Amino acid sequence: MKRRTWILSALGATGALVVGWGVMPARSRLGAPELMLKTEGDVALNGWIKIAKDGAVVLAMPRSEMGQGIHTALAMLVAEELDMPLGRVRLEQAGNDSIYGNVAMLVASLPFHPLDSEGEHKPTKIKMGQWLVGKVARELGINATGGSSSVADLWEPLRVAAATARASLLQAAAAAWKVPVSDITVTDGVMHASGQSAHYGQMVAAASGSTPSGIQTKSPDQWKLIGQSAPRTDIPSKVAGQATFGMDVRLPGLLFAAVRMSPILGGTAAAVDRKAALALPGVVKVVQINAWGEGTAGLAVVGKTTWHARQGVQAVQVQWQPPGTGVVDTTRIQAALLNSLNTESGFTFHEQGVPTQAEKAAASRIDALYQAPYLAHATMEPMNCTAQVKDGRVEIWVPTQVPQMARDMAAKVAQVDKDQVTVHVTQLGGGFGRRLEVDFVGQAVQVAMACEGQPVQLSWSREEDMGHDFYRPMHLAKFQASLDAQGQVTSLRIKSAGDAITPRWMARAVPALSGPIDMPDKTTSEGLFDLPYGFASQHMSHVATQSGVPVGFWRSVGHSHNAFFSESFIDELAVATQQDPLAFRLNWLKDAPRHAAVLQLAADKAGWGTALPAGRARGIALHESFGSIVAQVAEVSLSEGQIRVHRVVCAMDCGTVVNPGTVAQQVESSVIFGLSAALFGKIDIVGGVVQQTNFPSYRMVTLSQAPQVETHIVPSTRHPAGVGEPALPPLAPAVGNALFALTGKRQRALPLVL
Amino acid sequence: MQLNINGENRNSSADPNMPLLWVLRDELNLTGTKFGCGIAACGACTVHVDGQPVRSCVLPVSAVASQKIKTIESLGTPEKPHPLQAAWIAEQVPQCGYCQSGMLMAAAALLEKNPQPSDTEIDAAMTNLCRCGTYQRVRAAIHRAAAQMKKGGAA
Repeated sequence: MKRRTWILSALGATGALVVGWGVMPARSRLGAPELMLKTEGDVALNGWIKIAKDGAVVLAMPRSEMGQGIHTALAMLVAEELDMPLGRVRLEQAGNDSIYGNVAMLVASLPFHPLDSEGEHKPTKIKMGQWLVGKVARELGINATGGSSSVADLWEPLRVAAATARASLLQAAAAAWKVPVSDITVTDGVMHASGQSAHYGQMVAAASGSTPSGIQTKSPDQWKLIGQSAPRTDIPSKVAGQATFGMDVRLPGLLFAAVRMSPILGGTAAAVDRKAALALPGVVKVVQINAWGEGTAGLAVVGKTTWHARQGVQAVQVQWQPPGTGVVDTTRIQAALLNSLNTESGFTFHEQGVPTQAEKAAASRIDALYQAPYLAHATMEPMNCTAQVKDGRVEIWVPTQVPQMARDMAAKVAQVDKDQVTVHVTQLGGGFGRRLEVDFVGQAVQVAMACEGQPVQLSWSREEDMGHDFYRPMHLAKFQASLDAQGQVTSLRIKSAGDAITPRWMARAVPALSGPIDMPDKTTSEGLFDLPYGFASQHMSHVATQSGVPVGFWRSVGHSHNAFFSESFIDELAVATQQDPLAFRLNWLKDAPRHAAVLQLAADKAGWGTALPAGRARGIALHESFGSIVAQVAEVSLSEGQIRVHRVVCAMDCGTVVNPGTVAQQVESSVIFGLSAALFGKIDIVGGVVQQTNFPSYRMVTLSQAPQVETHIVPSTRHPAGVGEPALPPLAPAVGNALFALTGKRQRALPLVL
Repeated sequence: MQLNINGENRNSSADPNMPLLWVLRDELNLTGTKFGCGIAACGACTVHVDGQPVRSCVLPVSAVASQKIKTIESLGTPEKPHPLQAAWIAEQVPQCGYCQSGMLMAAAALLEKNPQPSDTEIDAAMTNLCRCGTYQRVRAAIHRAAAQMKKGGAA
């Protein structure tokens, strides 16, 4: 493969520039006080921390809250270093400087094998790659909430920023009181020494301008907040119906817009008759909208309420025209992917041993073909954005995972400079990767431009949302294992096929980087090329396709389907070699002790091997994603032909844990999200039109079908890793493997069908 | 027409066919009640009409003009939360929170009718969808609130 060595050649070209191996110091993201919003009475000490007159802390918050509890977790880091109660940390939306960009998310996109890239002794090429991408990411400053990366990314920068602020406040107090800094103690944000005391607000004027160096963050034994479950700060407003989601933004003179896009993906409106719509009461105007951000074109109707706008948009007479490139069709795509698997070699993500030799010498072979369908995100809050275009300026209020991308889109549509755009990030009614796209932002700004300075809230119906997603792509994978005469696995070959996501998204997110559209995308092969099992020979490749369907990041991305493929096939190998699925895995995890420990913990807590009531069976699965290792045991039965999952026991090693309560919440969330996909999730496209329209045809697990989920966290002192996604991938294979134990029928396709 | 919402009489000039949801949200700015599906399939828009849980996205406002409408905004107050709201905080139920207004209103209607619901009764009554998967905490919080209400205190 020509592209196979792309990483090494890219690194070779830049290698001469590399002068040191250290990861970029967190101090490089400290930022100047000027980066924070100027607010009356508050004094900024760096780009993250302001101190209010009353001694409270204001934290610049660059990450979006979409249910994952990140606003609480990041505030905890700051409260910890400043010895403040969590309730006294207020949040303020961060600006656009590159210190707020997400470095960890981009570094994690490198396709290195996790067993090679852990710890201090990682190979040089991996150190180089991580350093280089980190450097590029730091310069680019792409602010995105995704990839389960928020705590991993801000763990050092936020603690260093808070500790630096604390040190300057203590220095100021020491100078005022003429005592050594070491004599000062801090309790709940109040400094004490030799009978004197002051809160931070009383010392911040004197502390301003000093940025002490040589700062040490607390050692784990000094932590009071980190590692203890803290109630989430966003929950009280959410139970009172007071949290402001995108659709809850209310402004004086607000208009409402409804959208109708071409039902044929990528299509356009060929002929539009507005008369019937404009004749309806409450309808203000009809606006044709372009295909922004690789979405689909269509039209919007502005009305005095969302309901008037929706009535209006349905009344428009329109003839849709399919795209010149032809219409997409999932049956045809499936056949094309199978053909790709059989005829193309793809990009090799991992190779070890000599697979061809092992295959030649094999006494027997096990082959299997696995597949997974397109999926929609179906956030409970459909896509929406509120926009006002007035006097050459654009203001938007939007539930987004990518505020800068939203800003750039608004600037592009309104044809103004980026600094003429103000973005207000609201609470997100679910994200799951859908809100890493900004197609709807372009629509809202285009409609607002037609509204003469009046603000307009554009929102999608459920049908538009389901029919115009950036879907989790369909993937197929062929597995081939070779066994020797003793029945030992000697080699594993996996070839997969499906659309790449990252290169196209990068082109949308950072047009400057839009060159290598066909660069290998780790997300296509993650969960296949990076398995922890020590089979001597391995070969994993992926054929990246371009099917024409808009595709995007869906919670846990490639892992969401690849873990189902790989962990189901591992189960097949255990069965074929007549071993217990747990014992088989442990046997091949001798060089992966962390994985073995997580697997064993889940098995122990689930009572693996103990008797179950008649008609029930257990399945087990293990998977690493976003730096975290998760094992799950699912207990399954069949009731009137329906799959019923009763209990899911989950063990997780996600490094240092900030808020254990949130980890449990995210595990429960991932299990339910994964179970909806495993039992029901499927998007079919016929003649370019998505067939699923609303929840009855794109089903979700309900309360009565929800299993009891138990979370067991492995204590760890490692760098924090991902939490929001890693518990999703093992769910489908754990359930599928349990179904095999129950029925003897191997499940090789999603959704699971008996 | 006159509407009685959260104990207050409000005048509305809304089209009689307009679903109650949009009258609440876009005319009266009571945005706690959410839009999720528009076909009464998800329950995000659940409010009480004369104490009954109804899905307001398909309910023409003219059908409820003479009835008492209650939304999440009047379920409790920050000073005096409804036992369910207190239980929701104690069990740390919400994640993104978007479906939770409807979830709480459905649970409140259930406890009105059945102060000590069994798991089976909770299964039958709580058909709202939650994409974040908060279901097991919803169940635990309903039991917690029921126990507290039996004792006569807040959760």
